[in-house]
Parts: sequence; structure tokens; C-alpha cells
Amino acid sequence: MTSEKVKNMKYIFHPKGIAVVGASTKPDKLGNIVLKHLVGEGFEGKVYPVNPKYDRILGMKCYSDVTKIKGKVDCVVIATPAPTVPKIIQQCGKKKVRGVIVLSGGFGEVGNIELESKLKETAERYDIACIGPNCLGVFDPYTDVDSLFFPRYKLQRPGPGDISFVTQSGAVGECIMDLAAHYGIGVSKFISYGNGTVLDESDVLEYLERDKKTKQVILYIEGVKDGKKLFERIKKVNKKKPVVVLKAGKYGKALEAAMSHTGNIAGNYLAYKAAFRQTKVTEAEDIEELFDFVKIFGQPLPKGKRIGVITNGGGLGVLTTDAIEEQGLLTSVFGKDTEKKLREVVPAHRNIGNPLDVAADANVELYKNSLDVFMGDRGVDGIIVAVLFQSPAINEDIVDVLVKASDDRRKPIVVVAVGGSYTDNYRRILEGKGVPTYGSPLGAVKAMKRFVDYSLSKKNK
Amino acid sequence: MLEEFRLLEKHGFKLLPYKVVKTLNEAVATAEKMGYPVAMKVVSSEISHKTDVGGVKINIRNHIALKLAFKEIMENAKGKMVEGILIQKMARKGVELIVGGKKDPQFGYMVVLGLGGIYVEVFRDISARICPINEKDVEEMVQELKAHPLITGARGKKPINFKSLKQLLIRTCGFLKKEDIKELDLNPVVFDSKGCDIIDVRFTR
Repeated sequence: MTSEKVKNMKYIFHPKGIAVVGASTKPDKLGNIVLKHLVGEGFEGKVYPVNPKYDRILGMKCYSDVTKIKGKVDCVVIATPAPTVPKIIQQCGKKKVRGVIVLSGGFGEVGNIELESKLKETAERYDIACIGPNCLGVFDPYTDVDSLFFPRYKLQRPGPGDISFVTQSGAVGECIMDLAAHYGIGVSKFISYGNGTVLDESDVLEYLERDKKTKQVILYIEGVKDGKKLFERIKKVNKKKPVVVLKAGKYGKALEAAMSHTGNIAGNYLAYKAAFRQTKVTEAEDIEELFDFVKIFGQPLPKGKRIGVITNGGGLGVLTTDAIEEQGLLTSVFGKDTEKKLREVVPAHRNIGNPLDVAADANVELYKNSLDVFMGDRGVDGIIVAVLFQSPAINEDIVDVLVKASDDRRKPIVVVAVGGSYTDNYRRILEGKGVPTYGSPLGAVKAMKRFVDYSLSKKNK
Repeated sequence: MLEEFRLLEKHGFKLLPYKVVKTLNEAVATAEKMGYPVAMKVVSSEISHKTDVGGVKINIRNHIALKLAFKEIMENAKGKMVEGILIQKMARKGVELIVGGKKDPQFGYMVVLGLGGIYVEVFRDISARICPINEKDVEEMVQELKAHPLITGARGKKPINFKSLKQLLIRTCGFLKKEDIKELDLNPVVFDSKGCDIIDVRFTR
């Protein structure tokens, strides 16, 4: 049974009216930045500044508290000093506000546990979906609800997509957002939940499990309050939508001395690692790997672990097949039929094998024909195309060939693009068209391995 | 040690035959009945590190060696309260694993599997799962170990008895929960193709 507070999260992402409590006229204040984003960008609902000190802010009427607002307010963003927050939430409750985002810090994280309990009690009394405190809040590119108090010229916002980010840390969260925008990766919802006082990571995941716009979830956590709850939730969500998790704070000092071998070797991270393995979620080691994995999880699920490699750069193919071996994937062995078909498209003096080295003088046409054969071979579960873009025989038509093959959506296709700014330009173009592209063979293979693992774990259930 | 043994037995763990004896005659009779080779360990609440004081003798193959060992252990324990000597059948030869358990503050009870014996803290080649677990979890735990070829059969060696490993890990989960164990080491547990022997146990509540 989904709780009211989780259901009420929809008012945070789809509010008819938003109030900003602690709205300010001073440009460097959170209450000013958030207000500007809400009125100056694409948000279509009503926006109400609240601050007893002002009559007007940015030319809008300013209210002394939320209960004074006449119109419907579904969501309230609070950016006032911590001690004032519980009372404001109570006013929200009276005004029948369903969603609250508390940006303010100064609660449990600095020892004010009592104040945080008061916040929790108040929000729960009214079944308010409360994000925070001590967080960046949310960003939804579809509705332009944006409580991120970083100016847009410094922190780019990603466009609409189907990946949702859930983060405990605001700092890491905003870096990921900025990078997503930079890489051209679209986002469904961004949620920085801070102390997770009312809605914790598991509650947020529960909402995203049902969210139609979310096809994939990324989770950044340092620690959780209720591991069992998280365990059950990520297990459920991951069966429907892949969850990629980045866990920080792995190697903190043990709190007490252990008496056994097990106690000594099993630091606090081992339990997290066990939980991730058991629930089949995909764990990334750092932010870069996180993006490597995220990119491929939008591809069609591979049926097995046999990979076909095509390259016009011999060494790139060898590095790729080495990585395939090392990561525990398999290189496809071509059947007679495939060999015959390849023989028809590949010039007579070339060897046919996997990796298929179409050689440095190969043109786009040869790439296209070879890809077609790979696509039709049931013994190939996934394809890695290691393109030497620097080759004189390769021109911009390669983009079309790769995108068409990828759009066919029969099997996952990724591209390896190693090189400087010229090659990097291709990487960006391909990424923008939804073809996962990697700067190194190992990066591509690692991502493929995790994707195969995920796909097979689903099959085995 | 004896208390730990009894508690494990209560929870269905199969231990090597053991008996505490007080006299030399009793020791000989017990060993003959169990069958050689046997191990002998001093039982004393005043001695915590038995090996360090010469309170442990292993691989005793006949009654002559047993008599010598008995006298030597008693000699080494002089001045301490000795409750008896534990005679235990020697374990099989095979792959030494550690089966551990821990209560994690976030996730609750978890089981740990690794290459056992003295290198466990050096290589830290371990895998873990949150309880409860099923047979599939055990298979994945084994696959996660770098040392897994030792378990699944390397260089012409027979694989270890998987059924007993699965039973042991699943039983350990139940034991941790029922007895509310904070930390547990079954180390080492020796596996061969037929089964396993738990050699030593340690736990705290």
C-alpha cells in the first residue's frame, strides 16, 4: 500500500501553484534564485512569493504567510532559517498544501535532532510529501518545477528524458545534473532528498517505480537509515526499471573493534555490496562509470553475452576483444551462414573473424553492410563498433549508418570513439542521437557487461 | 569452546565427533572408538590461547602417540585449572573456507564466505549476502570469489560438495537470527567432494 505522503509527491512535480517561503529581493539569496527560475522559465502554474518583510518581489505581490494566499497552492518551497520551518509546515498543512520542499539546513546534520523530529511530526500529521531538509529539492524538465538554487548560467539544466536521479548529496547531485546536460542526456526527475526526514530514498524510489516518465533510476547514497526498506524497494524497482547506484562513504573507520575475522574484513560497505548484488542493481564505482552505464541501459536488452566487434582500426578491435575476455563476456563465433554473408560484403583479401577488421581503407558502405550481417546473426547478442574516425575513407555518413542500426532496436549497439577533438565531435553527435559512445574500448565493454548481467538477471527470475 | 559446539549442534550443525575426557584410560578408549587420527585440546577456562601454551596436539595416529600427547598437554597446563581434554576426530583434507556471520546495523544479519585459514585477512577474498538467502545466492557467492576455481574444481580436482556448502550457509543465516549473534566465524571449514567439517567456531552475541 502506497502511503499518502508518497502519493502526494505528484503535487511536487505537477503543482497548479507554488509558493516560495523566504522569497527575497537580494540576488544571491536562495529565495531569490528559486523564485526567478519559477517565474522566468517554463513553469506554467502560479507562483507566490512569501516573506513578511516585503510587499512586492520581482513585481509580484508578496504574502506574509502561505495561509494568506487566495489561490490554490499545491507545493511550497521553504528557504528560511531552520527554527522557523516547523511552523511554516503547519501553515502549509492548514492551507492544504500537499508537497513541501525544505531547502534549509540546520537540522539533524548539525545536531538539531529535536527540531528535525518536530518537522517530521508536523509534515506527517498533514500527510505532506516533504523533501529535505538540507537539500537542493527537485527539478522536472517537463514541468520546469525547479528548486535548485544554483543559477542556470553556472549549472546547466538537462532537457526532458526518461532517467530519474535520486541523490542524498546536493553537491554530487548538481554535478551529475550539470554533466547530464553537458552530455545531452535527458532527465525525467531530479530529486535531492537531503536528510530524508519525511520522504527517504526508498519512498522516493517507490514514487518513481510508478512514474510513467521514468524508465531508469540513478541513486547516489552515502548512508541510509533503513537498509531493509531500501533492499526491498530497489529489488522491486530494478525488476521494472534498471537502477544504477553509486555508493559513497565505503571505507569509514569501523565504530568498534571486531573480535572475529568476519568482523575485521566486513566493513560497513560489505553489507551494501551484498545488498546490491542480491537485488541485482548495477553499482557504479564513480561518476564517470555512472554515466557509462546509464547510457547503455536505454538500449534493447541483450539476450546473451556473445558480442560481435566491427572495426576499421585493427588494434582497437584487439583491445576491445581483450576487454571482452577480461570482463567475462564472450566473442561471438560466426556460423557458416554469417561467414558466407560477410564474404559477400568484405573484400576478398580480408580475413573474416571476430573482431571483424574491415581495415583502415574501409568506407562507410562496408561498415553498413557488415553491421547488417551482424544484426541478422542470432549468435551476436550485442555489437561494439570501434570506429577509427580519423581514417580518410570514413566520412560523416557513418553517423547515419550507426544511428539507423541503433534505431532498429534489435540488439544493443555501442560505439567506441578514441581520439581528440575531431573524434570527440562525432562522439557528441552520436550521443545526441541516442547511440551510446565511449572514449575507450574498456569503458564500452564494462558497460556492455553490466547491461548483459542486468538482462540475464531479469531472464532468470 | 564446548558451549559453542553444543549450541551449534542444537541448531543442526553437524560437527566432528568429540568428547571431553578426564583420564588417560578414558582418552584411549574414546580415541579407539572414534578411530584415529584424532586431535586433542586442553579444556580450561583459564587458558584462552590453547595453541600458544602447547595445549593442542593434532594428527594423533595411535594409542602410543595419544599417551605422550596427553601427558605433554597436562604438563604444559600445570598450575591452571584443567577441566579435561577434548578428543576430536581429525577433519578431512580439502579446501579450507571461512563461513562468517555478522549483524549489520543497516541490513541486519549477513553471511560471509571466503577462503579460510590464516590468509583470510590478507587476501580479503570474500563475498556476502543479506539473510535470508537461497541456494541461488550461495552459487553467486561462490562465483564472486576470486578463488572460486578451488571450490568448483581446478586442475583436475573434484569440485567440493555444493550441497553441504549450501546447507551450511543457509543454516548459518537461521542460526544468526535465532541466537541473535553479533559476529560469527566458522573458520576453517574443510570441504571435499563428499562433505565438510567445521574445525573451529567463535561467536559473540
